[in-house]
Amino acid sequence: MQISVAQHETVFVVAVAGSLDALTADTLTSALQSELQQGHTQLVAALEGLDYTSSAGLRVLLATVKEARRLGGDLRLAGAQERVRRVLDLSGFTSILKCYADAPAAVASYAA
Amino acid sequence: MSAPRLAVVVGSGSVKCAAAIGLWRVLRRERIDVDLLVGCSGGAIFAAALALGHDADTVEGMAARFFTREATGRRDRRALWRAALPRLFGFPERWGLRDDRPVLAALRGAFGDRTFADTTTRALFTATDFRNGEQVVLSEGALVDALRASIAIPFAFAPWPVGDRLLVDGFLSDPLPVGVAVREGAHVIVAMGFESPYQSRLSSASRYAFQVSSIMTNNLLRASFAFHGMAHHGEVIPIIPRFERRVGLFDTKMIPYVVEEGERAAEEQVPYLRRLLAAPG
Repeated sequence: MQISVAQHETVFVVAVAGSLDALTADTLTSALQSELQQGHTQLVAALEGLDYTSSAGLRVLLATVKEARRLGGDLRLAGAQERVRRVLDLSGFTSILKCYADAPAAVASYAA
Repeated sequence: MSAPRLAVVVGSGSVKCAAAIGLWRVLRRERIDVDLLVGCSGGAIFAAALALGHDADTVEGMAARFFTREATGRRDRRALWRAALPRLFGFPERWGLRDDRPVLAALRGAFGDRTFADTTTRALFTATDFRNGEQVVLSEGALVDALRASIAIPFAFAPWPVGDRLLVDGFLSDPLPVGVAVREGAHVIVAMGFESPYQSRLSSASRYAFQVSSIMTNNLLRASFAFHGMAHHGEVIPIIPRFERRVGLFDTKMIPYVVEEGERAAEEQVPYLRRLLAAPG
C-alpha cells in the first residue's frame, strides 16, 4: 500500500493506493493518526488508487472518522472505485461518511 | 475444539448460492483448507453438500436437480383455502403455499439420512425461530431437518419443527450469518453473500411481496454485515459475485454461469487470502 499526503489550505488529502487490508491497515492508521495529532482534522481519503478494502481497512476509516469528528473535523472519501465502493455500500459506510467523485470535490466540500 | 483459522460463510440467495461451488473449487485448487462452513437458506444446501466432501462438479449436479420448479414450485391448494377462509378451514402455525413433499423428497434424495456427524468439514446452518425471531444455529442431527428449516421461506414453505422450536428461513434473522463464524472464533472469514433481486415490474401481489422482502432483506444484510465486520477481531473478506445477467430464484440453467462468477470473484481474493493465512497470528 502506498500513502501520500497533500495539503490544500486547511484540508489534508491522504491518497491511498493498493490494498487496504489486515496486513496494511496499521500503516494507514499511523498515517491518519499522525495527521490528527498534528491538528489536521479536515481529512480526505483519496481512494482512486485503492484496489481493495476489507473489514480491517474499514475499521481504520471508522476509527479515524470518529476521532476526527470528536475533534471538530471530518474524514471524507473521494474517488472510490466500483469494487471498493461496493464494500463501502455493503458495510453501510456510504451512509455515515460523505463520499465524493474525486479529491477536488471532497476538498471543496469543506468550504461549502 | 480449537478456534477455526478459516471459515467460509455462504448467505441466502437460492440458485445464486451455487457461486459457493466456484469459491470452493478455487480454495481446493489452491489447497487452502477450510475449518468451518456456515450456511443460510440456499447457502446451507451448498455448504452441506460441500461439507460432506462432495467435489464441486458433483455439487453442481445436485444443485441442478434440487433448485427446480418441480421440487419447489408445486402449490398446496389447501393452504390457499386456509388463507382465504381461516375460520372455515382453520389456519395452522405450520402454513405455506407450497407443497412440502417434493422439496423434502429432493432434500432426502440429495442428503438421505446423513447427519452433521458425517460431514468432513465442520458445518453450521442457520434458521430463525418463528415464535420469537431469534437466530438458531443448527449443528447436530439430520441434515435434511436442518436444511428444510433453513430454507423455509415464509409464505412459500411451512415452518419446520426441530426439537421444541418451530423454525423458518435463516435469512429472516441474518441473510449472511457472519456472526456465527465470529462467535466460533474464526480468524479469517470469507463471506459470500447475495443481494435479493428487485422486481423489474410490480405486476402481481406475489411480486409486490417479493419486492418488500428484498428491500428488508438487503437492508438487514448490510446492517448485519457492517456490524460484524466492525466487531470481528480478525478479517472478514466479502465475496459478492457480480451477476450481469439476471438470475431467477429457480434458474437452474444459469447454474454454470453462477458457478463461473463465483469462481471469478473468489480468484480475485486468492493472493490476499494466501498472504493473510501465511501471516503469523
